[in-house]
Amino acid sequence: MKGSEIRVENVTKRFGDFVAVENASFEIQRGEFFSLLGPSGCGKTTLLRIIAGFEDPSEGIIYLDGQNLIKILPNERPVNIIFQNYALFPHLSVFENVAFSLRLLKISESEIKRQVEKYLSLVKLDMHTKKYPSQLSGGQKQRVAIARALIGEPKVLLLDEPLSALDAKLRQHMLIELDSIHDEVGITFIYVTHDQQEALSVSDRVAIMNDGEVLQIGTPHQIYESPADSFVASFLGETNFLRGRVNQVNEEYAKIEIKELGELFVYLDKPLKINDVVKLTIRPEKIRITKQMPENLPDKFNVLHGRVDEVIYSGFQSKYFVKSGKFSFKVYKQHVNYLLDETPIKWNEDVFIWWNVDDGFIVEVEEE
Amino acid sequence: MKKNYGPVYSLPLGLWITIFFIVPTCIIFIYSFLTKATYGGVQWQFSLEGYKALANTSFINVVWITVYISVISTFLTVLFAIPTAYYIARNKHKNQLLLLVIIPFWTNFLIRVYAWIAILGNNGFVNNILVKLGVIDTYIQFLYNQYAVILVIIYTYLPYAILPLYSSIEKFDFSLLEAARDLGATKAQAFFKVLLPNIKGGLATSILFTFIPALGSYVIPMLVGGKDSMMLGNIISRELTTTRNWPLASSISVVLTVITMIGVLLFLKLNKNNLESIKKLVVREKAGEESI
Repeated sequence: MKGSEIRVENVTKRFGDFVAVENASFEIQRGEFFSLLGPSGCGKTTLLRIIAGFEDPSEGIIYLDGQNLIKILPNERPVNIIFQNYALFPHLSVFENVAFSLRLLKISESEIKRQVEKYLSLVKLDMHTKKYPSQLSGGQKQRVAIARALIGEPKVLLLDEPLSALDAKLRQHMLIELDSIHDEVGITFIYVTHDQQEALSVSDRVAIMNDGEVLQIGTPHQIYESPADSFVASFLGETNFLRGRVNQVNEEYAKIEIKELGELFVYLDKPLKINDVVKLTIRPEKIRITKQMPENLPDKFNVLHGRVDEVIYSGFQSKYFVKSGKFSFKVYKQHVNYLLDETPIKWNEDVFIWWNVDDGFIVEVEEE
Repeated sequence: MKKNYGPVYSLPLGLWITIFFIVPTCIIFIYSFLTKATYGGVQWQFSLEGYKALANTSFINVVWITVYISVISTFLTVLFAIPTAYYIARNKHKNQLLLLVIIPFWTNFLIRVYAWIAILGNNGFVNNILVKLGVIDTYIQFLYNQYAVILVIIYTYLPYAILPLYSSIEKFDFSLLEAARDLGATKAQAFFKVLLPNIKGGLATSILFTFIPALGSYVIPMLVGGKDSMMLGNIISRELTTTRNWPLASSISVVLTVITMIGVLLFLKLNKNNLESIKKLVVREKAGEESI
């Protein structure tokens, strides 16, 4: 593996009274595609700028392969950044933008030409080398920025919301390309984004941040399937939350009593005591919806009866809002084969919703 | 077919410039080839006397001093203006700071020059302080030399140099400097390779706004200059009002105009590559639009 490992140790950054990053600690492995995910203002960009060297942390240290990075000037760090607005030099052509860092090193003209061509072909931008940034489309600017950042052969590439200025389709396309560029150059990528789909689809691991704090670090699968708290659960996709009181606990499961709804079983991923007030979450796509009471279900399923409040059909799936008791459940049903399915479920129909007990999670516990 | 109203719209300005700029320049040009009348004015008789009188070393010396003082003052003015404009553009209180730059304009120019005399004169503010502090025994002659002229020219034209620089620095995207630093440039390299090329327009304007009026200086060398700082403006005025040799005054004016134009053209030529690349860019962009 090329690239470097980064260790962030107790990094805090204050701007006056405002705490942008609070005591962040984590490690990024060699060659990893690591994402910092969070809503705007959560401190992820500040953290990235600290790694790049544009900001000094108020406290804490960042190590790159065991070496303290903080005292090193930004132009001497083996780290390059791709800015949100690309920050291409408007007075230089595409070729000269990419060649910028090499020109500072007094490298021979032929070598510069060879390198620039190599990196422009890596980002599939062999043409247009004489154009100026103002003549390029958003996607092309993005490619120039990538080539310009990679040509200095950094050990770590920092990406600050690089796709946010592109339209949805192009974003999807560039994301796949970023992933394949990561595979090709093999260096460590630190990717800052507020878009959970981007983070989940390309990252090896994701750190979720909110209000300056790192809330959870894990593989996309881990953070989506077992969110550490209700913020992580709701920030990553849609989910249903329920509050209730624990009235029975065995080795694997807890029984939660929810007012005006009934009793639900939930997988015991945290230690619980009787009478704890808990918040549990269940993802809408994990809930199944049928007109008939499902037969021959093992005990490991929660089944509720309800009425369809709203149906939103969007081609590949339908979103149902099902009223049960005073709760409204979001339920997503994929249309694998719409016509051969059972007769479609319509508004105001009586339905049963049910899910595997293992798919529900406790995200918060308030001890009594 | 759209009617082209361009000439109609430009008529008022065109007339204004013709009457008050082109015609007077032509009159001066014609006067420079006429014969001097006894009590000022001209006789309508062709003569090259006005130009023959220029071919002596003392005149060449004045030309040299004029150019020298103007170049030095322009260089220093712009040198001071860049950091000032940068500081204002990046400051939270830019409007208040800009006001400070403009405040000198509220006072008459002549009064401001006299203020410098009051400050730097032999019995002036600075000398008095220095004597009282015991730093010096008797006054230092600050005024009536080239340095005083250069100082007051810098003081006078600094606002004109700051404002265009400010407006281009204010539009500059400072993340470009971070990008340059990130790509390995030192602070100085980022300044010269990224900031300067991107504020070229403002830089060019501020150089011209200082250099052109500096070349035509007349009041400043008259009030704070000495023998070593006689400029073209001063001898034009002398020939016009004291010696009353109008053809000579005209020929010197023509020389001054020519020097100014050479300066401006030389400067534009240095910037030509720039202008051309901008032109090409515009053409290409237009072509691009059409092909879409």
